[in-house]
Amino acid sequence: MRKFCTVESCNQCDDPRTCTLNRLGIGCCGQVHSVGGDMDLRRRLLEMGFCNGANVEVIRRAPLGDPIEFRLRGYHLSLRDEQARHVNILPASR
Amino acid sequence: MSSCCEKPETTVVKATLTVALAGNPNSGKTTLFNALTGLRQKVANYPGVTVEKKTGRCKLPSGQWINIIDLPGTYSLISRSPDEQVAMEVLRGLRADTPAPDAVVVVVDASNLQRNLYLVSQLIELGRPMVVALNMMDLAEQRGKPVSAEALSRELGVPVVPVVGHQRKGIEHLKQVIAQAKVAPMPDWPLPDAMKEELMLVGGGLAILHDGPEDHESKDSMPTGNGKGGLLDRYKAIAERLLIGDRAGDLLSLSQKEPVTSLLKSAAGRMGQLGIEPMQADIEAHYRWIEQVGDRALGHVDGPKVPAAPEAEVRSRSWTERIDAICIHKFWGLLIFTAIMATLFVSIFWLAQPVMDGIDGGVSWLGAQVASWLPDGPVRDLVNDGIFAGVGAVVVFVPQIALLFFFLSILEDSGYLARAAFLMDRLLAKVGLHGKSFIPLLSSFACAIPGIMATRTIESRKDRLATIFVAPFMSCSARLPVYTLLIGTFFAAYGPFKQAGIMLALYALGIVAAAGTAWVFKRSMLKGPKPAFILELPTYKMPQASQVARSVFTNTKAFLTKAGTTIFCLSVILWAMMYYPRMPKSHVEQVEQQASLHNQDVDTAIAGEQLRYSVAGRFGHLIEPAIRPLGYDWKMGVGLVGAFAAREVFVSTMGIVYSVGDVEQEATPLEDAMRADHYADGRAVWTPVVALSLLVWFVLAMQCMSTLAVVRRETGGWKWPLVMLVYMNALAYVVSLAVYQVGTRFLHG
Repeated sequence: MRKFCTVESCNQCDDPRTCTLNRLGIGCCGQVHSVGGDMDLRRRLLEMGFCNGANVEVIRRAPLGDPIEFRLRGYHLSLRDEQARHVNILPASR
Repeated sequence: MSSCCEKPETTVVKATLTVALAGNPNSGKTTLFNALTGLRQKVANYPGVTVEKKTGRCKLPSGQWINIIDLPGTYSLISRSPDEQVAMEVLRGLRADTPAPDAVVVVVDASNLQRNLYLVSQLIELGRPMVVALNMMDLAEQRGKPVSAEALSRELGVPVVPVVGHQRKGIEHLKQVIAQAKVAPMPDWPLPDAMKEELMLVGGGLAILHDGPEDHESKDSMPTGNGKGGLLDRYKAIAERLLIGDRAGDLLSLSQKEPVTSLLKSAAGRMGQLGIEPMQADIEAHYRWIEQVGDRALGHVDGPKVPAAPEAEVRSRSWTERIDAICIHKFWGLLIFTAIMATLFVSIFWLAQPVMDGIDGGVSWLGAQVASWLPDGPVRDLVNDGIFAGVGAVVVFVPQIALLFFFLSILEDSGYLARAAFLMDRLLAKVGLHGKSFIPLLSSFACAIPGIMATRTIESRKDRLATIFVAPFMSCSARLPVYTLLIGTFFAAYGPFKQAGIMLALYALGIVAAAGTAWVFKRSMLKGPKPAFILELPTYKMPQASQVARSVFTNTKAFLTKAGTTIFCLSVILWAMMYYPRMPKSHVEQVEQQASLHNQDVDTAIAGEQLRYSVAGRFGHLIEPAIRPLGYDWKMGVGLVGAFAAREVFVSTMGIVYSVGDVEQEATPLEDAMRADHYADGRAVWTPVVALSLLVWFVLAMQCMSTLAVVRRETGGWKWPLVMLVYMNALAYVVSLAVYQVGTRFLHG
């Protein structure tokens, strides 16, 4: 298992297909590559703006570890780990 | 109706225009609705669903009155939740209970432009005249991203009015512009070419279907825009919905008509071959269009997009982010959360108590005053013990409900409620609940009535139902007198610490039962795809006193009118059950003689005997065989009937059954009477095991008609309250049975 990617190793991800939003480290940015999951979840995530290579920044995890707060298209939203894992991310190069 | 002959120009204008107010959650839609309509509002429910329908009236500068429908806040119009379904149906004029809107006012949060424009992009496709109210311009400017209303208006082709809802800026301007609402030209969505072709084909199929020799009636729901091109655009918009799989409302029947069905089928096949998924392609195209429109509205020139990655580093931290750094901090965040929740809980648990006692006393005093005017007899007793007690049973909840909605609206309007859900979600997700279930469940420790009403903040229906369903397991304040009486009477020998331990164990039992029930229910009755937890963390805002007051007022009023009537009726019925039939005169005299012989208070003795004689008393005897295995006798059965009015009534009912007079003054006689009570064979009626079994019953059983009345109101029918009644009482029966049977084996075996 790959560990959460940290700020320093953010651009170390060589295989974008395996980097999902839930594994992106706190403070990391990335671009949305694709969204998976069932039809309903995918539609909701797309409608909330997880599409067209939008930039996502990981703000924090809740004190109990889940959910995760993100910044996307200028607003903040949170997803549970189980949903964030369906968003595939291209980690931003720094 | 004004005469058309005198003022010919007014005949064009409809008597009352209907305007729908649409917008994202947290876009300031409610504030704007209040600013437009003032106090001329009406809150009801859409028939058949539990979505609140808010309508109001507003006078335009021209002197014309318009009706405004405040649609539920939604991110999208592709129906997933009842909220979105209702919003979509109203906008398309498909609801018989609501007139089709003549125009739509969309509230757009200028500080969160892109996601808000997504809803706008869907509204454009409906082809209704539209005005955009660009809200929170102050916030957008603070962030250094002022949106140009002119540029946005140019891009969208509809009037755009900048407003600051909470400062009432721009409201008058908006009122002027509502009359100038325009149908937005259909944008050429940057869809894949293959999909555009399919849209043309399906759109053509729809045109054939509708423009056939007979004039189709549902043509009304497709306003024609301008000319032939506009009509084709409308067909293409409907084709788009059909292609992405939306079958809500009349789309289902459209999709089942030829030639549409076969066209859709072949389109799906061709796009599948090309690897295009219509739903995804559609949303992406909308967002691509939004990105262009947004850039221009923000004053960015056309051209290659600025590489966005550095944005995160460059931007300065907003107020909201600074507050969040503390408010959802691992340590401080939890501390602040605990402090806020403690304040909320203490307020509804203790602060409301003196007021509730005051109301209780006031209503019964009033009842006694009115009753003293009436002659002795059933009418007087009905007025005093039936009607006034019934009114008291309803009004007594008002302080708690008002306080709860006071806190709740502050938490919600400020934006903290979303943070509280964010903090607590992990804990509640484990049993299948939602972060937003926390406050309703916490409130239920004071009383399930406000707790269940607080579930209105949960958007997902399944999560909301699950929360409503488990809320009554939380030990409410009405159970406390029963706990105290039984623990104090039968566990006195165990010392204060063990007594406190028992009390804590009862609270814990309720929580465990709630968690287990939620877990089971999310896997059985509420099964199905899990609603995704997508929680927006909105910008912090200062709550407005007027909004808070309005929320307290409307919610309290809704409780009184909707749930209150049911509670009142049930409590009068319950009174009658404990009052009728009356004892015959001879019987009364007998009791009087007996009482004076044993040196008892005559009135108390008569009251006790009358209760035993009543329907409720007989019912106690009737159910005795059923409750026998739990260790209860018929007197406890009567107590359980009485407890249906409110759990604490159990204590006073026992006082009457045991003929010990007013137990509210002094409980000791009741305790003694209970300890002294023996069966004919000499066994004690009450043992610690019986008391424990009864305590468990009180933790788990659904025996509160007010809760049932509120659940009926909140779920929109008797189905859920009945399921709740059967489930909770069955569970209570089984567990109490186990406690008594196992307990007696251990202690006597």
